[in-house]
Amino acid sequence: MRRLIPYAGAAAAVAVTTALIDFVVGRAQIANISMLYLVAVLVVAVAFGRAAAIVASLLAFVTFDWFFVPPTHQLVVADAQELFSLALFLITAVVTGTLAARERARAQEAEHREHDAKVLYEAAFLMAEPDLERALVAVAEHFRAALDLDAVSIEADADILPRPAIAARDESARATLRATGSELRLMDPAGPSRTVRLVGPTTARAGRRARLVPIVAAGARVGRLAVLPRAGAADLGPADERVLAIAAAQLGLTIERARFRQEATESEVLRRSDDLKTELLHAVSHELRTPLASILASAGSLRQHDVDWTGRERDEFAGAIQDEAVRLDHLVGSLLDLSRIENGTLVPHKAWHDVAGLVEDVAGRMRPVTAGHPVRLEVPLDLPPIELDYVEIQQVLSNLVENAAKFSPAGSEIGISVGRDDGNFRFAVRDHGPGIAAGDSERVFEPFVRLARAGQGPRGVGLGLAIAKRLVEAHSGTIWIDRGVSEGTRIVFTLPGRAGVG
Amino acid sequence: MPVSANTVRAEPSGARLLVVDDEPSMVRTLRTNLRGHGFQVETAETAGDAIASYERKQPDLVVLDLNLPDGDGFEVVRRIRAHSGTPIIVLSARGGETDKVNALDLGADDYMTKPFGIDELLARIRVALRHVARPGAGAEPRITSGNLVVDLERREVTLGGRTIHLTPTEYDLLKVFVTNPNKVLTDRMLLQQVWGPDYGDESHYLHVYVARLRRKIEGDPQDPAFLMTEPGVGYRFRSEEL
Repeated sequence: MRRLIPYAGAAAAVAVTTALIDFVVGRAQIANISMLYLVAVLVVAVAFGRAAAIVASLLAFVTFDWFFVPPTHQLVVADAQELFSLALFLITAVVTGTLAARERARAQEAEHREHDAKVLYEAAFLMAEPDLERALVAVAEHFRAALDLDAVSIEADADILPRPAIAARDESARATLRATGSELRLMDPAGPSRTVRLVGPTTARAGRRARLVPIVAAGARVGRLAVLPRAGAADLGPADERVLAIAAAQLGLTIERARFRQEATESEVLRRSDDLKTELLHAVSHELRTPLASILASAGSLRQHDVDWTGRERDEFAGAIQDEAVRLDHLVGSLLDLSRIENGTLVPHKAWHDVAGLVEDVAGRMRPVTAGHPVRLEVPLDLPPIELDYVEIQQVLSNLVENAAKFSPAGSEIGISVGRDDGNFRFAVRDHGPGIAAGDSERVFEPFVRLARAGQGPRGVGLGLAIAKRLVEAHSGTIWIDRGVSEGTRIVFTLPGRAGVG
Repeated sequence: MPVSANTVRAEPSGARLLVVDDEPSMVRTLRTNLRGHGFQVETAETAGDAIASYERKQPDLVVLDLNLPDGDGFEVVRRIRAHSGTPIIVLSARGGETDKVNALDLGADDYMTKPFGIDELLARIRVALRHVARPGAGAEPRITSGNLVVDLERREVTLGGRTIHLTPTEYDLLKVFVTNPNKVLTDRMLLQQVWGPDYGDESHYLHVYVARLRRKIEGDPQDPAFLMTEPGVGYRFRSEEL
């Protein structure tokens, strides 16, 4: 029915003009009154296009002949001059109508192009979003709305987009297009765009057509664009095709850029983890060699026969060998722990435990280490049980207490406290040693970082805090240096408390 | 005067050593061992202590670990060199070639890589102390090492009585070596002494001249007896005539 509107318009325009001419002719004699028909043809051409203009021309020709050219009410033309006039009129009407219609088509075309350019320009803006998936979903929705489509899907071949970016008018359209996934994948690597007829069990799909456009960058296909036109609408017009082709080219560049960015990031990550490993290896070999140097020097001393070593001196060499061998053993053990944690092979075996019991147990086990320091425990009586890996959290606390004892002056107090904080458990170990500089708060949790602290006695292997951090993190907790203390060090870690009993 | 080989405890020789290391067990072992070998031993665990102890005790020799907790051993070398020629033997972990070269360039006399043999350290200490005892080595007109004789007055070199012809640069280089016997000389030090103060990074010049010298004075240039390579650091002229 819609297609008949232009012709109905043409007929109406001619009818109105005829009535007007009739009205005028009845009152005054005006030469070439038939020119009014030309105005009607012009109006029809501008409003409805070329075909309607030609129909209007013919209708005007016949009507004028019928009503106004003597003999009236017949198609016969008596006067040869009238015949010439009529022919001239028809030619003028057709030419004028055609020209006007072409002008109209041009204006419409320009308007379309401007619209397309605007659509593509806006799409380019959306593609600038750094998150590829978010960008493509926005672009898909943009094209869907701009071209009045039911659904648009954008897929990338490379492993940079976790799922196709789909925009759809409604859920059924989304499902319909998503279900075409297998058909999409059958597309030739870089074949031309084409239309596929969807077949399938659901009536929603049956008989619908989807347009597939390959996304190409630098001659190679990098993805595909699929669009589902509005249900019941005709296939895409050439203008829409053109927009989709340009969109595909834009998308090609976007996908390539995302791929390059991802590759650059990956190689950067690899490089950094490589650097880190090299650094760790250097640190490890240095840490292993330091006790070895003492062992070798002491063993070498014992074997020197140019000096008659006293029993006490021999003891001293043997003692150094033993101490350093123990240190080596600790180091190797800690390295193993660390590598197990780093591998992720260390999975906390969680069970429900009493917090006070855990803290008292640690304090008791650490007594040889904390000898010479009063140890103060602050554990509220009403703490609910906590779910944790007993051995691992015991090790975290032990490492913290050992550090506290090692780095604080003899006689100074060491505090272990536990509290509740917003449903979480908050553990803290406090000492009155030299403290940790603000700039080192993060660094101390890295392996083999030992801070310059003058004049302390024994030294650790520099892994205690690194291990503690990883164990706490394996429990989904966090550990940090509390900067709120005026002197000494307070290290705090939290563990999530799940719906405690209390 | 090597310590006698029979197991008689040496009397404190008077040579006072300052041992600087932040590893307590290393300090303990070195102190016990060196005292057992007749030295008086002072110890320090940090760069600050080392400088203070040096100024207070004026030791005859310093054994210095470069890796100190409160800053660097280089500062200690610099401070000591600022007002004395006390021999300094630096200790450093393996892989610290750059550190060693820097310390030697700053004026350290020798280096040991950890872990080291205690006998080797004792030998180096004795060599360095003897070197101090004969400060006029370069002023002597004739220097003899094995069958190699360098006559500094006549600029004449003989090997087993046979005259060796050297170019002026070769002679200058050999002179630096023989006047610093048993001392590690870095590439930079040699380049600056022989080629001039504007040089320092042109190690390839030096390697060429050392190779030429070896062809002229060594019985087997592949297995040198005089011009020893200190890998990654420089060269050392080995002399038994001390």
